Amino acid sequence: MAQKSDLLQGSLDMLVLRVLSRGELHGWGVTQKLEQLSRSALQVDEGSLYPALYRMEAKGWLRSEWKMTENNRSAKFYTLTRPGRTQLEAAQESWERMTGIVALVMQGA
Amino acid sequence: MNLLHRLAYRCRALFQKDRLEREMAEEMRFHLEQRAADQVEDGLAADAARCAALRRFGNVGRIEEQARESRGWTRLEHFGKDVRLGLRSLWKSPGFSLLAIVTLGLGIGANTAMFSVLNTIMLKPLPYADGDHLDEIYRTNAQGAETQISPADFLDLTAEMNGYGRIVAYARGDMSLAEPGQPAEMARSIRVSSDFFSVLGIAPQLGRDFKPAEAQHGNHRVLVISQRYWLNRFGGRADVIGHPVRIDGETHEIIGVLPASFNDWRHLGSVDLFRPVGLTKEEAVDRRTAMLELIGRRSPALARTQADGLLANFGKRLAAEFPEANAGSTWHVGALHDVAVGKSGPPTLAMLIGLSGFVLLIACSNLANLLLARTMARAREFAVRSAIGASRLQLLRPLVVESLLLALAGGLAAIFVAVWFTQWLTGRSTGDNGEVVRFALDWSVLGWAFAASVLTAVAFGIAPALFAMRLDLNRTLKSGARGSTGGPVQHRVRQVLIIGQFALAMVLLAGAALFVRGLADLNNRRAGWESDNLIAGTILLPATSYPGTREIAAFQRLTVERLETLPGVRSASLSYTMPFFGLSAPRKYRIEGRATPKPGEEPSAAINGVSPRYFETVGTRLLQGRVFSDSDNLASRKVFIISQAMAAALFGAESPLGRRLAHLGSDEPEWGEVVGVVADVQSVYPERGPVTNQLYQPLAQEGWPMNEIAVRTNGVDPSTLVHAISATMTALHPDLPVRRLQPADERISRANYQLGVLRDMLSTFALLGLGLASLGIYGVIARTVAQRSGEFSIRLALGAQVRDITRLVLASGVRLALIGSALGLLGAVGISRLLASAYPGMRMDSPPVILGVTLLLVAVALIACYLPARRAAGINPIESLRAE
Repeated sequence: MAQKSDLLQGSLDMLVLRVLSRGELHGWGVTQKLEQLSRSALQVDEGSLYPALYRMEAKGWLRSEWKMTENNRSAKFYTLTRPGRTQLEAAQESWERMTGIVALVMQGA
Repeated sequence: MNLLHRLAYRCRALFQKDRLEREMAEEMRFHLEQRAADQVEDGLAADAARCAALRRFGNVGRIEEQARESRGWTRLEHFGKDVRLGLRSLWKSPGFSLLAIVTLGLGIGANTAMFSVLNTIMLKPLPYADGDHLDEIYRTNAQGAETQISPADFLDLTAEMNGYGRIVAYARGDMSLAEPGQPAEMARSIRVSSDFFSVLGIAPQLGRDFKPAEAQHGNHRVLVISQRYWLNRFGGRADVIGHPVRIDGETHEIIGVLPASFNDWRHLGSVDLFRPVGLTKEEAVDRRTAMLELIGRRSPALARTQADGLLANFGKRLAAEFPEANAGSTWHVGALHDVAVGKSGPPTLAMLIGLSGFVLLIACSNLANLLLARTMARAREFAVRSAIGASRLQLLRPLVVESLLLALAGGLAAIFVAVWFTQWLTGRSTGDNGEVVRFALDWSVLGWAFAASVLTAVAFGIAPALFAMRLDLNRTLKSGARGSTGGPVQHRVRQVLIIGQFALAMVLLAGAALFVRGLADLNNRRAGWESDNLIAGTILLPATSYPGTREIAAFQRLTVERLETLPGVRSASLSYTMPFFGLSAPRKYRIEGRATPKPGEEPSAAINGVSPRYFETVGTRLLQGRVFSDSDNLASRKVFIISQAMAAALFGAESPLGRRLAHLGSDEPEWGEVVGVVADVQSVYPERGPVTNQLYQPLAQEGWPMNEIAVRTNGVDPSTLVHAISATMTALHPDLPVRRLQPADERISRANYQLGVLRDMLSTFALLGLGLASLGIYGVIARTVAQRSGEFSIRLALGAQVRDITRLVLASGVRLALIGSALGLLGAVGISRLLASAYPGMRMDSPPVILGVTLLLVAVALIACYLPARRAAGINPIESLRAE
């Protein structure tokens, strides 16, 4: 269990950053977006999104702000910061390299 | 930018914790509500939708916990919790906390105070510029004693040692100072070579420094004065520059005032007058009269060891070229700072730091015992917590935090103790000229206190905690209420701690007791003379009025005559020195009828010129022959009186009377006949070893300007004569102030006042150590009695007598005290050796004292054990067993 979430952690961060790179969203919005983009294939406790959000905010990748939603409720919106954008690019690049290597090995074998 | 952002986030996480918590809850609630609403849209009932939302969200509590951790500061928060917990638990047992804090405060306080003394004396630099390159250049004679340097040798040295740097010289010697038309007073003075102040890196705050031309004899009548003297004597007036004063009867001009920082009691002491040394033509070629001390500023390119080599070579050349003055002597370079601190300084300070460390160790082992008991009392709690899964770290943390808190409180208490102690010391260290030695607390001292506290906490707080870790879970849980007794290992540890405490206390007590005894001996020691009804003081005869022996001899006759007519006076005398207070530099001699000894191996003797009734006045007994009379003068042949030890050393069993000696200084020997032998006289100062060879000559055959006057009363309190004696001398000559005119007994106790301070410090440490050790043994025995009350009850129920129980308890305590004292004896021997080597003039071995100290320790242990033993005897077996 712990191992599984550890494995997911790095990629979860990247996915969240990616989702937020299109514009600011609240936590629920991020969940919805992930669900939508993955076509509901991602199986993860929805709650584990929040520690990830806080951790990235502490690292300075995200900034948060309380705003009104379209339904006129106040929610905490997260925005990508410039270091966050840099981090996303770095993570994406290493992810691509990684999957490329894995794919190479899998095809070659 | 990013850093700032992160910092701001961290700060919010720390200081707006409540708000962040609210926000987090709100955010998650929003999420759950949205999800539930979603599910309702999909057709679920409201309740089922909420459940489904929660299921998809995961464990809320755990996620919140993870979220908090990702905010950071959780460790600090835990620590804060531990601190609060520790404070509460300490607050709940005020007796324990107070005892621990007081114990630590005393232990660390004593140690911190000693560090502040060390800091003041040894660590602070002298008030001179770039002290690393300042050296003391000195010479040791064939006997290894440090001697001063003659003017001719100094001039040779400055001419030759350009590679070394700059070398300056000074000569100590007090001068009398008078304003026009006023009688004179004595002032502490030194005469300095040109550049003296610039080599030390000091500039006058007012007026100017000496000019090179003023080093010449004839131009030398100019003065620089200390700031203190300027304020006290001249009221800080600016017009003191150019002011004429009489120095030893000659008019001088004040040209400068030194800054306040100049006087440092560690080096030159409180010198008030500075005058150019102004060597005369005769002095400039004199190699025999060693009167100068040298300070060098080494050129930065030269290491001190290289400089030492240079000087050693110079010394060798000097010894080869002028053997009669320099044979056997060697030249050295030492750091000025080390020389200023002195030879007995470092070992004494090391000893004090060490002993205060012993006090601290005793305090620490008390603390360890207290904490051990406290931890063991909570053993069951630990066992339960560990059984339900607490990690070692989690168990250990509150214990460590608790001891840290104790140590910090103890450290604070220690600072108060140290402040109080240093104030006391400052008060005690004020010299007889009003010079104040300040022992101030600064950051390094506070740092020391802090470090000592933390170290104590870590060492003595964690040790018992580790014991708690080693507990056998099963046994502790099973043993029920008796879980608090602690196993045999803990018992052993406590015993070892008590033994250690008594060993350390033994060392402290023995050292203090030996020192008290030694100082009492010293203050009562009157080797070869009598101090009752004796009053003495120093005068300096102005060279203008008393240029030679003829005038001085006339002065001596007149002075003694006048003094002896004062009411209450039995006899009076004049002498160069009084051997019990100080000796003049030794002179070398040859003996008639024996071959001239090789240079460096001549017999030498401390010389003293005395008036006829000197021996009667100071109470030195005549053993053979006769004393001097008024007819021993310049017109008659030279005569000597020698000490008993010198007679034995030079002539063995033969009679020394009629034998002739000659001073090696003159080319044509001037023989003097030994006409008497007197008892040996030894110095009252502990750091001076015994001087074997003492030689007396009539003052009327060789007069010196510096003299001691001594007056013995016919039973009248000598202190009542101070005014009459001063008035008599001033009437003889206006420039004859008498310095340090006081009863001999008073002078001795004042001379040894620093030793008195040391004695009080040692005694304080010893009492602290004894008190803490007795508290320690009391605590441990009391606890043992409480733990063994069940056993005692069974014994009593089976027919043991109350007496047996008492004896059992007493024996267990006294056994520990005895073992500790026995071990401490080794340390006591060590410390008596140490003291004996630092103060060779004091007797530091006294078996009765050691025995007394041992008895005292055992007696204290008995009393400390008797109180709990009585409680053990008062156990009611029925109640006690029922309580089990």
